[in-house]
Amino acid sequence: MMEALNGLLTGFAVILTPSNLYLCFLGSLIGTLVGVLPGVGPLAALALLLPVTFTLSPIGGLVMLASIFYGAMYGGSTTSILLNIPGEAASVVTCFDGHQMARQGRAGPALGIAAIGSFIAGTLGVVIMTFFAPAIAAVAIRFGPPENFSLMVLGLVCTLFMISGSTIKGVLMMALGFLTAAVGLDVVNGRERYTFGSVDLSGGVELLAVVIGLFGIAEILSNVETMAKSTLLADRIRGLWPSLADWRASWRPILRGSGLGFVLGLVPGGGPVTAAFMSYALEKRIAAQPDRFGKGAIEGVAGPESANNSAVAGSLIPVLSLGIPSNPVTALLLGALIIQGIQPGPLFIAQRPDLFWGIVASMYIGNVFLLLLNLPLVGLWVQFLRIPYRVMFPVVLLLCVVGTYSANKNVFDLWVMLGFGVAGYVLRKLEYDLAPFVIAFVLAPLLEQSLRQSLVMSPDGAMILIKRPVTALLLAVSVVLTFLMFRRRTKSEGGLP
Amino acid sequence: MKWAGISYALVIALLSTSAGAQSDPKAELAKLKPKDFPTQPIEFTVVYPAGGGMDVSARLLAKHVENWSGDRIIVNNRTGGAGMVGHSYLATQAKPDGYTVGVIASLLWGDAMLRAQGRWSFTDLEPIAYVNSDALIWVGSTDGPYKGMSIKDVVNAAKDKPNTIRVAIVPGSMWEYILDQIEANSGAKFLRVPFQGGGAGITALIGGNVDIAQGFFSEFRGYLEGSKVTPLAVAAAGRMDFLKDMPTFNEAFGSNEYLWQLVRYAVVPKGTPPDRKAYLAAAVQTAMKDPELIAEYRKQGVFFDPKLENSKNLAADLNAYAEVERQFYVKTGRLK
Amino acid sequence: MFERTLNVFWIVFGAASAVYAWSLGMVGPAGPESGLFPFIASIIVSGAGIVLLLRRAVVAPDFPRGGGLWRVLGVILGLMVMAAEMPYLGFSVTSFITMIILLRTVDRSSWLSAIALAFVSTASVFWLFGQILGMALPRGPWGW
Repeated sequence: MMEALNGLLTGFAVILTPSNLYLCFLGSLIGTLVGVLPGVGPLAALALLLPVTFTLSPIGGLVMLASIFYGAMYGGSTTSILLNIPGEAASVVTCFDGHQMARQGRAGPALGIAAIGSFIAGTLGVVIMTFFAPAIAAVAIRFGPPENFSLMVLGLVCTLFMISGSTIKGVLMMALGFLTAAVGLDVVNGRERYTFGSVDLSGGVELLAVVIGLFGIAEILSNVETMAKSTLLADRIRGLWPSLADWRASWRPILRGSGLGFVLGLVPGGGPVTAAFMSYALEKRIAAQPDRFGKGAIEGVAGPESANNSAVAGSLIPVLSLGIPSNPVTALLLGALIIQGIQPGPLFIAQRPDLFWGIVASMYIGNVFLLLLNLPLVGLWVQFLRIPYRVMFPVVLLLCVVGTYSANKNVFDLWVMLGFGVAGYVLRKLEYDLAPFVIAFVLAPLLEQSLRQSLVMSPDGAMILIKRPVTALLLAVSVVLTFLMFRRRTKSEGGLP
Repeated sequence: MKWAGISYALVIALLSTSAGAQSDPKAELAKLKPKDFPTQPIEFTVVYPAGGGMDVSARLLAKHVENWSGDRIIVNNRTGGAGMVGHSYLATQAKPDGYTVGVIASLLWGDAMLRAQGRWSFTDLEPIAYVNSDALIWVGSTDGPYKGMSIKDVVNAAKDKPNTIRVAIVPGSMWEYILDQIEANSGAKFLRVPFQGGGAGITALIGGNVDIAQGFFSEFRGYLEGSKVTPLAVAAAGRMDFLKDMPTFNEAFGSNEYLWQLVRYAVVPKGTPPDRKAYLAAAVQTAMKDPELIAEYRKQGVFFDPKLENSKNLAADLNAYAEVERQFYVKTGRLK
Repeated sequence: MFERTLNVFWIVFGAASAVYAWSLGMVGPAGPESGLFPFIASIIVSGAGIVLLLRRAVVAPDFPRGGGLWRVLGVILGLMVMAAEMPYLGFSVTSFITMIILLRTVDRSSWLSAIALAFVSTASVFWLFGQILGMALPRGPWGW
């Protein structure tokens, strides 16, 4: 404990210089902006700004890159709430209730609770990181293929709770998400499947193109269809800040989201994206009136927005204390360190306490910056809703195109985006819920890979899934949850489907 | 005071003459610069994601080429399909106008031979400069049942008890081919646990989920310092400078066929105007002579293949390596 | 009617996909092969399609007509032009053309304001990404 506090003091000593504070602020600002721009996510922004960090000191560069990463989680909710277009993949779920709140004139409270929830979760995440990083890393590294598999199963089961509307249509969407994820190289044997000889398909289907298509383009299409009204919203804007009732409803989801997000950030696969989805599913599952979700429930904003922020803190632990990246963004951070001539490994904290604690300290400060930056912006963003839609949508469309292109620099992704946009537009009219598609698409590759890895490494086949205690526990929980869900669905719907 | 001033002046004079005697690489490079080139940033295309080994090599190179040439360079990651998407782009779509330079690895050859299905060949890309090499290294854990074993012990153990030792592989690549060779030559049998990259396999090794991992030096160096892993053997022609005690596979098994290394080099698409190609080649080669870049590469744990470093005809030497790989594919029935 | 057609499509699509997945191999010596997971997913798609087809409740989608339809098609057309022409004409020109299409079909703006808005938005996106962030946007034959 004392050791951690001493470390933290070292960190603050390193970070409290004008230039480092400036870089932290700059990163927070850029992160917020990239988060706000639809389609341009933290990964593209970090890749683009990587060369800038060469000219900085190692700590300065790293502080800036990290603050862009968590800053993007703050900004991502903005377009979700205002335009129903996710700023990046981790903010998809924020659309569901956030935009409904905005339509009810409550964009202010939605944006406010997103910023404050992000702040609380981000700070809690750093606090846990301060005291337990090495211990958590030691546990996280034991997480092998069987544990990953059971976690993905649990994730899919939770998704079932999330389906709004027809269960059978939701399941169909999940299956389609699985199929879409299968396109490309089979990671287990390197064989191509569902590519039909196309080089572009051999790269698989890009998540960003899918998300921007299904949620961004589809939303724009339905909006231009009914272009009668000049702005997105009616003129009345009720309150800029969350009310006392909002707080009462939100504080538990924020805490739950923080915890859930932190854990999911630690394990490979998805990180903030999975965290946000799971938090939404959890809140919907335990809510007293689940049917309020999708109609402007503030819990549906508070939980996921907190979860994706603490997932960032969680995902930084394996990369900083072991040198193991758990998602593409942290892989990029690792690369940035290596370019600076620093090789993170198990001795990183001991050998470079200035760097490790410097980053931890900068995250406390960065989260404060982001809160101070984002709260005043709430008023500004709400005013944006007054811009006539006919002026706004071409620019938003252009940003969607550039953002999608930025992921792989492949024009083929634009066709994917357009295809999913049209499909999403039509399917929404038929009352299909598209969220299960996205989450299945994210979880499927890891689920399949980890199951096949488990079976290869196990001397006695599927027994490995029962013999390892964590795996067995997670699978048991999944089974119980599935059972509960079917019982409830059959009760409420009077029989499946 | 006076003496100090005089000696100072002397030193300056000496320094300036010695600098004048040597040719200035910057001036040499400027002489080669075509009149109308470049008028916009040059794009270094990397076919793997930002932050990986290939990307780091390319970005360090870009930084130094920028310094020496004064031209603006953008590193662009065209990713997907384990490099296939970017390789195809470079070979078939990239404009041969000198603004596209590929900084690629020899994994290109396997993609061209096994996956391109005749749509393009690796000779569609013309090598302009050698960058560096990385050799595949087998690493074991410092605890668990196989601790303290040499590479021979491990292979013998896999022969005595087939299908018990778990090895991390990356499917459809040299991580798998080397196992094919070892199994064919020794009669041993390993369990092949597939991962998406060398780093993921090392992680699984530390977590006790596999027994042997394969990777490049930079991928496990951090754990070496924490003495969590132990290097077993390297698939290169000679021992590595940074791990003198580690034998090569060829030494251990008295063979000469275990050569699995990644050669990183720069290419331009076929048809790039000769003056631009010559200028780009000179720019990259000049940067590669910069001791600072060499030091940064060494710090990363890559090595320099003497044959390619001093090559008179880089394309021919690289083709010779590619031919060895092709013969392996033919021999193992992967290629007809 | 539309939904019934879609349900038939799910059934056929799932079946075709299942056949293809079967050809990839189901189970090998080391557990599932490439085809197993896609096969299961395909069967679920087909099965869900059958259940939906048999069900009586049908959603009547309110597809747009008249002006609404034209606006939707205008956006789709604009994006198709963008994706098709970007590798040849470069980002700036393609995006300028797309914006004109969008503003003329969707918004029915005057030529003057369409050109002005298209120019401003293209230029600012190009400036932000191409210049400030140093992203390599596709170039046309004229180098930008």
